[in-house]
Amino acid sequence: MATLPLNDQQKIWRGLMRYWSKDQIGIGIIKSDLLAAVQAIDTFLDTNSTAINNAFPIEARTNLTTTQKAIIVAVVALVRWNPGFLSNILGSVD
Amino acid sequence: MAATTRFVLTPYSAEFPSSNFPQLRTVNARPVLAFDAATKETCYWTVVAPQGLTGALHAKIQYIMASATSGDVDVNVAVEAVTDADATDLDAGTSFDTINALDNTTVPGTAGYIDVLDVTLTNADSVAAGDYMRISLDRDAADDTAAGDMYVLTIEITDGN
Repeated sequence: MATLPLNDQQKIWRGLMRYWSKDQIGIGIIKSDLLAAVQAIDTFLDTNSTAINNAFPIEARTNLTTTQKAIIVAVVALVRWNPGFLSNILGSVD
Repeated sequence: MAATTRFVLTPYSAEFPSSNFPQLRTVNARPVLAFDAATKETCYWTVVAPQGLTGALHAKIQYIMASATSGDVDVNVAVEAVTDADATDLDAGTSFDTINALDNTTVPGTAGYIDVLDVTLTNADSVAAGDYMRISLDRDAADDTAAGDMYVLTIEITDGN
């Protein structure tokens, strides 16, 4: 899979700015730097997709869909840094 | 000439187009117009130009940033003034004068801290006392750099500065 189209990267960028505005969470960089960050992470995920896939144990690697594995990557990253945001997506998990 | 306050425009008195308008919301119980960082949004206010209007008008925009602590904002203010018997078909179009732009104003270093933009309304559509008058405001989101919403609290329209 290639990197996301610019339009999709901009959707992420707009969504992040609106989310942080709604919750009044400080953004210490300007708009263009935020878009560049989104694009850099997209490029990183594209470049390292094989390595990320290989990080999954064989059972998960071969039996989960790509979408399911992507959700695992996203959820684990979120719970490390923003579990509150994650609970908005998954709901409270005991 | 000392400045004279002619109008105070508030979020609840704003008028909105059918699309691309700022969201009307409250922040800490304060009404604000939330201008998006990625989409150019516009709103309007309608007033009657007051008697005794003489000097150059200014729009003094009080705002806070929702989240941005760096970068700048660009705003445009335009004036539409229609005099009795003017040949302007108000139910079919508008006659705003050229925009008055104020660009590259650095936002406060702390989100939520107030700043005031002073836009000189050089292009005021030859407004005269008694005119039907509209004032438009947009954030030039395509060109400014601050991330996140710009919350407009009030606008003071002054005669002189």
